[in-house]
Amino acid sequence: MALAWAVGAGGPIAVADAVAPPPSSTPAPAAAPTAAAPAQAGGTQGDAAPAAEAPAPGQAAADFKSLDQEVQGMKKDVIDLNKDLFVLQEELLFPANTQVAVYVSMDVGAFFALDSVTLKIDNKEVKNYLYTAREADSLLKGGVQELYLGNLKVGKHELVAFFTGKGPVERDYKRGATITFDKGVGAKYLELKITDRVTKHQPEFKIKDWE
Amino acid sequence: MLHRFWGLALSSLLAGAALSAVPTLLGKPAPDFALKGMDGKNLRLSEYRGQVVLVNFWARWAGDSRRELPVLDRINTTYNRAGLVVLGVSVDEDVRRAREFAEGMKLGFPILFDATPDIGRDYSIEKMPMTILVDRSGVVRYVSAGFKPGDDRAYLDQIRELLRE
Repeated sequence: MALAWAVGAGGPIAVADAVAPPPSSTPAPAAAPTAAAPAQAGGTQGDAAPAAEAPAPGQAAADFKSLDQEVQGMKKDVIDLNKDLFVLQEELLFPANTQVAVYVSMDVGAFFALDSVTLKIDNKEVKNYLYTAREADSLLKGGVQELYLGNLKVGKHELVAFFTGKGPVERDYKRGATITFDKGVGAKYLELKITDRVTKHQPEFKIKDWE
Repeated sequence: MLHRFWGLALSSLLAGAALSAVPTLLGKPAPDFALKGMDGKNLRLSEYRGQVVLVNFWARWAGDSRRELPVLDRINTTYNRAGLVVLGVSVDEDVRRAREFAEGMKLGFPILFDATPDIGRDYSIEKMPMTILVDRSGVVRYVSAGFKPGDDRAYLDQIRELLRE
């Protein structure tokens, strides 16, 4: 039984590939026995063969329920397996000793409308993400986005983030923020935080260790 | 006569070769992208999940694009109310001139601009223009490279089928 799985894109496994087709001996509905001569036909047909034994409606419903439960169980197994495979893929592609993740969060009101973020690590562009209105709104409502997941060797590294959007008074706004960090043997998590700086009526962009 | 025969055979072979790379998208999730539109807003393909989406990759230097875009505009006008979303993606490196071209066409559907080779690579665009239809689950169900008279009929058949699902 071929098992087709798709990970990374977050798509579910193509269940049709993983689940074997139900047995073809599924009981027919109760209306099936049309070929059998009715037993109470008054004996007019002398050569009527004994009526074929049709499954009772209750039995058919029970069999169907059992089959449905079996299919649901298999679907759940497939989904669990998909999840395990996804986690395994993450561990293989981004092992903890080299893993670096960058998250974005926003806590702004009137001073900044986010349009895009560009990320550079050690002077190499690793991510350029455009935000739709829906995504920016999600961040404003407290969502945190995993912007980048990658691998870095142990040692010192520099991360530069450029934020583009609309600033106060609807003007185009582009600002950068930099952090130099030490990548140790464990996974490194960094947060790009955009907040309002009320005293200066400007947005503020910070990069810090994600807690 | 023989010359014409070999010419016809060669053009058929080339047409087949141009299309053979394209069907690799069929049945697979449409590669996601986010691009800036003419109105300055960013649009992401995956946010249209649940709707039928027609994505047309075009360029102002492709003669077939000039013929196809007005056809797609009519399709958008007719089927937008039925739930069809039409997106035009310019893969022209000169965004300014592509924008001028699109403004002149006065199209009623969103036009997005991609000046990088990323989308062309993701969608294996080898012949322009290219049109794909994405179903409500985000799967590519139809791919057409180039545009010739009669292709719009094929689009309509596919669109109606997907809208009925």
